[in-house]
Formats: sequence, C-alpha cells, structure tokens
Amino acid sequence: MEQPHELTVEAPRVWDRPAVAVPVLVCLSLVGGRFASFSTEANLYTLGTGGALIWLGLSNRVPRRPAPYRLGAGAAWWALPVVVFGVFEGATFVLAAGDDFPTFSRLADPLLEDRLIRSAAWLAWLSAFWGLVRR
Amino acid sequence: MMRTLAIGGFLASLVLFAAVEWAARREGSRIPTLSDVCAYVMRYEVGSVPVGRIGLFGFWWWLGWHFLAR
Repeated sequence: MEQPHELTVEAPRVWDRPAVAVPVLVCLSLVGGRFASFSTEANLYTLGTGGALIWLGLSNRVPRRPAPYRLGAGAAWWALPVVVFGVFEGATFVLAAGDDFPTFSRLADPLLEDRLIRSAAWLAWLSAFWGLVRR
Repeated sequence: MMRTLAIGGFLASLVLFAAVEWAARREGSRIPTLSDVCAYVMRYEVGSVPVGRIGLFGFWWWLGWHFLAR
C-alpha cells in the first residue's frame, strides 16, 4: 500500500552514512599522509580528492542540509577570530622576516613533516570539505 | 620575541575560533555556527552560477593544496 508522502522518510544513501563516510575519509587521509610536500604524488592526490569533492558539491548527487535564509547580528562575532588571524598573517607575510616572525604556513610546515600529524591534517581538511559539500 | 608574538597571535585566533563556535552551539544562541555561516555564503548566486559555492570550494581546495602539497 502506498504511504502518504508526509509519513515517509527518505533513507540515507549507503555512502552518505557516517559508518561509511568516516572510514572512507580515514583511509583517504592515511594515504594522503604518506606523500611528502612538493612531491608529484601529493599534488596529484590533492587535486584528485579535492576535484572529486568539488564535483560532488556542484552536482546534485549529495543531499544537502538546509542553509539559513539570513544571519542575525550575532554573525559579527565571527569577524573577531578572522581579523586577529588576518592581522598576524598579513603582518608576518608583509615583513617577510622568515623564522624570526613566521607566517602560519611557516610554523605549520615542520609539524606537517610528521606522518601522523600530516594524516590528521588530511582528515581535518577532507572532513571539513565533505561537510561543505553537504551544506 | 617576535617569533613568540607571532605564535601567540595565531594561537589566540585559533582559540577565538573555538570559543565563538562553542558560544554558537549553546542552547538559544544568537550566534550562527561556522557551518551555518558557510552555508549562507554558499547560497550566493549570480544568475544561475553558484558563485558562493564555487568560491568557498575553491578556497578550501587551495588551502589543502597549500598546506598538504606545497
């Protein structure tokens, strides 16, 4: 018997469930963490995974959570961390003082040489990307 | 000295990001979460071109490439 539309709930697709998405993201991150900076593999892997996620995000293949129609005045609070980060990134970039007054990238580079931290960074990047695709 | 200032500044901004997100997730908060802000930005379209979506995806892609491949 056919159910009224209001009473039916669309089941999430298999690959859209956390039980599938999380292990896939972890595996992709572990692979990404093996590639050193400036290597051809790292470039191709970043372009490949990012390109695939952009393709998913611009097509209608992934269900999206609804976006707010307007943001309240409270959204202005987000300017605070953005401005603090921007001021320091801008100052360190413009002064170009190397390790004496390093940019955020320069500080992060030695940390990202560790394979475990690199994989964690990959997981953070891919998870946030997947979150954006679904918004 | 200047190096400590830079590290302190970047750490402060990361703590502020976490603090605002924490405040946004409280019951009845009037601050939108970062996810909601991104979703709002991604709604922006020029004609039928999803400019906000393309821009945010492009920025995030570049960020990953910059830190993980360069």
